[in-house]
Amino acid sequence: MSVLFSTARARRFARSTEMSLLTIGVLGFLVLAAGSHGGLLHGNAIRGVLTYLTVPILIGLAQLVVLAAGQMNLSVGALGGFLAVFTAGLMADHGVPAPLAIGVAVLAGALIGAANGVLVVATQINGFIVTLATMTILLGLQYRVAGTRTIDAGSPGLRRFGTLAVLNIPVIFIVALAVAGALAFVLRRSLAGRRLLASGGNPLAAQLSGISNNKSLILAHTLSGLIIGIAAVVTIASAPGVNKSIGGDWLLPSFAAPIIGGAALAGGSVSVLGMVFAAFIVRLVDLARAQYSLDPSWVNFTVGAVVLGTVVIGRIREVRQAKNTSPGTGDDSRSIGSENRSIGSQA
Amino acid sequence: MTAPATDRGEITASDGARSAPRLRWNAGTAQRLGLIVVIAGLVVAFGSARTAFYDQQLTMFPLLRDIAVLTVVGLAQMAVLSIGHMNLAVGRMAAFSAMFMGLAYQDWHLPLYPGLAIGLLAGAAIGGLTGWIIAVTGVNSFVVTLAMDFALLGLVSLVYAQTTTVAAFTTNPAGMDGLRTYSLADVCVGQVCGSPAVPQLLLFTVLAMLIVGYLYSRTRIGRELLLVGSNIKAAQLSGIPAMRRVVGAHALSGTLAALAGFMLAVAGGSFTATIGSEFMIPSFLGPVLGGTLLTGGVVSVIGTLLGTTLTQVIRQGLTLLGIGLESLNIYLGVILLVALSANRIRAVLSERRAVTPR
Amino acid sequence: MTDNTDPLLVADRLVKNFPGVRALDGASLTLEAGSVHALLGENGAGKSTLIKIITGLYRPDGGSLTVAGGEVVLRSAGDAVRAGIAVVHQERNLIHEFSVAENITLRRTPSQRGLVDRKAMHANAQRCLDLLGLDLDLDAPVKGLSVAQTQLVEIAKALSTESRVLLLDEPTSALTLAEADRLFEIVGRLRDQGKAILLVSHKLEEVFAICDTVTVLRDGTSVLEAAPLAEHSTDEVISLMVGRSHAAQRFAPRPVPADGAPALEIDRVSTASGHRDISLQVRRGEIVGLYGLVGAGRTELAKALLGLDRVVSGEIRVNGDTVHVKDVRQALNTYRIGYVPENRKEEGLFLDQSLTMNIAVTVWERIRRALGYVPRRRERDLAVDYTQRLGIRSSGPDQLAGNLSGGNQQKVSLAKWLAAETEILIIDEPTVGIDIRTKGAFHQLIWQLAADGLAILLITSDLPEMVTLADRIMVMRDFQIAGAVANDHEYERVSRAVIGLIHGREPAGPVVE
Repeated sequence: MSVLFSTARARRFARSTEMSLLTIGVLGFLVLAAGSHGGLLHGNAIRGVLTYLTVPILIGLAQLVVLAAGQMNLSVGALGGFLAVFTAGLMADHGVPAPLAIGVAVLAGALIGAANGVLVVATQINGFIVTLATMTILLGLQYRVAGTRTIDAGSPGLRRFGTLAVLNIPVIFIVALAVAGALAFVLRRSLAGRRLLASGGNPLAAQLSGISNNKSLILAHTLSGLIIGIAAVVTIASAPGVNKSIGGDWLLPSFAAPIIGGAALAGGSVSVLGMVFAAFIVRLVDLARAQYSLDPSWVNFTVGAVVLGTVVIGRIREVRQAKNTSPGTGDDSRSIGSENRSIGSQA
Repeated sequence: MTAPATDRGEITASDGARSAPRLRWNAGTAQRLGLIVVIAGLVVAFGSARTAFYDQQLTMFPLLRDIAVLTVVGLAQMAVLSIGHMNLAVGRMAAFSAMFMGLAYQDWHLPLYPGLAIGLLAGAAIGGLTGWIIAVTGVNSFVVTLAMDFALLGLVSLVYAQTTTVAAFTTNPAGMDGLRTYSLADVCVGQVCGSPAVPQLLLFTVLAMLIVGYLYSRTRIGRELLLVGSNIKAAQLSGIPAMRRVVGAHALSGTLAALAGFMLAVAGGSFTATIGSEFMIPSFLGPVLGGTLLTGGVVSVIGTLLGTTLTQVIRQGLTLLGIGLESLNIYLGVILLVALSANRIRAVLSERRAVTPR
Repeated sequence: MTDNTDPLLVADRLVKNFPGVRALDGASLTLEAGSVHALLGENGAGKSTLIKIITGLYRPDGGSLTVAGGEVVLRSAGDAVRAGIAVVHQERNLIHEFSVAENITLRRTPSQRGLVDRKAMHANAQRCLDLLGLDLDLDAPVKGLSVAQTQLVEIAKALSTESRVLLLDEPTSALTLAEADRLFEIVGRLRDQGKAILLVSHKLEEVFAICDTVTVLRDGTSVLEAAPLAEHSTDEVISLMVGRSHAAQRFAPRPVPADGAPALEIDRVSTASGHRDISLQVRRGEIVGLYGLVGAGRTELAKALLGLDRVVSGEIRVNGDTVHVKDVRQALNTYRIGYVPENRKEEGLFLDQSLTMNIAVTVWERIRRALGYVPRRRERDLAVDYTQRLGIRSSGPDQLAGNLSGGNQQKVSLAKWLAAETEILIIDEPTVGIDIRTKGAFHQLIWQLAADGLAILLITSDLPEMVTLADRIMVMRDFQIAGAVANDHEYERVSRAVIGLIHGREPAGPVVE
């Protein structure tokens, strides 16, 4: 993932955040492996770990790209669930060949994502409430398509793809990494990606530089939808069947990984690599839970506490860095009296 | 059903219930009148399609009970919307508080109302904590409440797993079952009894609406909450303790969520870990459809009731028509989008007005 | 470089209206290739509106813009960039997370097939930095840079588009003298390359040192247009800027108790935000003016009095008692200090709320009864009372503050402090964006408040206003008091003394203390 780095300075910075996440991840994994008396190091175990890491990475990426533009997408799970049952339905009920169905899923994801973006731009209401509305609609569509049944896509080829592994590394996991790499590349190297980040980082400056913030928003939501389309395909390929509950538990993890991974919530700065590591760490929590037969609730509790801790610590660090500003109260508003003054005062 | 609150439920930040009508006030009132017309129309339509819709015990009673619970949920969200924040953990705060109530009844053997008080306190505490984190760190309320939702989800399930065997408390206090089934038919003054369609649980909602309505329309703190939502910088520079108000709004949200959790537990018959898991979407639907602004500064208690009523009437009606709950969400989502666009159009219009010199 | 003899940019009789105010009223500007042009004018003369029109942020209501001989309509900032106009805004507009190179080339990021061409980007950025003689790590994120460095990056960014017209809006406000000198060296070089440069600056020395021609704006009109600077003296230019036409309005003499004890005393106060040894006193019935350029630390001093900035050393005394103000609430309720902020829309008003809410916000504490109950009639009566007293034109106490004109909004912003019965009132830039007639009425009002016994600290950048109202004028520069001028309301003399202090020259007028 060399595409993530460009400068000596940025590299140092990236290392400090991402290396610590990686260190935590590796150490955690080793501890768990030791605790399992090496069981976790067996090929099958590793394959299982990575298989169930695939969807968390993809939905994290889908959330990350809208966070980059200073937006959020609540419809991640509902869109994924809808696309999964819809695509599986196409194949099972209408005999649509797998490659075509996959294409339809990804395209539909991108289109619905674009619709989210257009709605945000047109209503000028924050993305939260717009995607809440589309989430509601998509949930309804998912229920309507799936009903009470579990749909098996019935495509042996797709199923094989879902379980195929190279050296015990599942192909779908490689797909997720490829998507991550592609997204990192787009955000890092492409003009559109840079503009997207600029809009998220400082919309006014972006506008003054002739960048269309509206285009950036729509692009971010479109990419988000597209990645969710891929996540839906991966789900169909790797799960024995899809039903109306698919995607129901995607929302919270989709935020957890990017936030722990170091995405600036105000937009403008994201770390794809950090997000991937964070998704891995969240996965480890789940593994630990399984290994020590703990209650599943520990996972949510731990992840929630970690996310809270991350935002609080991150904020404290930020405040320390800019300690010249007076204390603020509450979100969505800059603290009063904190306008940046000229350097005259420091002389 | 709206009678007890009609004359004081409506609050825009400005007073005006009895004063000369003004432009925006009209827009807000028109929105609520529109809601009433739509609701009445739907009731007639559903009723003529299925006479079962008018069945007091089988349809109206559960419908009103759902409205009662979800209106309180809507008020819980409205409390934070009033300062321009949101509370994604509204459902989990209900679960968290319901857990304390369950513990109070099962392990501490408290009677119904002291147990409720403990639950309300727990809700206020967790809401206040959330507000405090937001106020001190300045992190977006969305993120903090989302993370809080995670943490509470885990915590609540853990406690249920530790203390119960079936993810529900089994001991219910005396009076709870009665509260569940009692309607106004059980309240008689002489020979005149109330309607069997109106659950007694609705009284909690009316009480909550009166208190919240009083707070926002008549008290200093309510006004200050609205001003914090309207412009937090100006609020601070006008001497309003903005940080305390932020904490207060979230504490109020937590308390109301706790009340909703209690009401749902009563309606469902037991305190379970899943209480509140369905609260998030309705919590936004009610206030937003009723005219509460997401940006803060304007709330409507009566609007929240009407918005909630509309969604529940649609739900109940569609169920009776056999259309199925699957499709319900589609309609609700579309309604929400339309309502949002209407807000936007109104905002554009009022901006135009603002530019026109008067 | 250009064979064309047409001016590079002509703004002809531009008109721009805002609700209640005509910001530009026939302002014209001509920029020739190969020259540095100064745009001067006091605060509120319309400079920033003019710049925003030239850079595509505002559309004019009248007049035309011509670039290199062809008339243009600029609909966005992007249009201006494409027309070859680049601007360095006063506020720094950089993406903090992006690298220096990326920020410099943000307006026109080099790309090939949709991908950022990093080589070209670096080359372009390096070229711009070289032009400025700067040595910065191109890959370093901007958030790690000093304020001066970010200012230079802004300038490099403006150079990156090879625009022929370059607007510099107060480019040296954050620079040291050496840095400023280097910048002007570069400006000279750019001029020699045939670019047209517009410099907006408050620093007259700077203007006279490097500019060839000058346009002076006053009240939205060009009172001097494209005149060779060599033909005008500093004094002439100052006179044109301040204008004799609306020199100090005179009010009836107001008895100021000369020996009265000060209501507010600031005694050698230094603050966390950088004030050093500030001392001043305001007596009851007195208006003390605080004059200075934007960024001189006046508003920050006001906020220190409200407990929003930490006092590091020195004392603040109210009615003789040493006070430690914790927050605005305490300033209001305990010490009776009120603050009418400079930016009424962002800090003074609740635009989407009624007049009643806006005015009564400071009195709820006082009129509330048990259970926090606020009697509506009481609060409405107060609102109506002050609406009438201040002559606020509205449809009634329920009208939304956002629907009022600027002048009436400002009165509402003031009314809440009068309703709170404050004794010390800090008024920050009371008449920015307010038309001239309302302004007069507002001055009368402030004058009357002082006559009624309030101690008033008036912060304004509007010299005629200052000379009209203040009894004494304290001049602030770089978070220090540069000097004090006794105000005898003789506009010529007082304004010269004040401007002299601002620009660091020996005062030429009556100076006290």
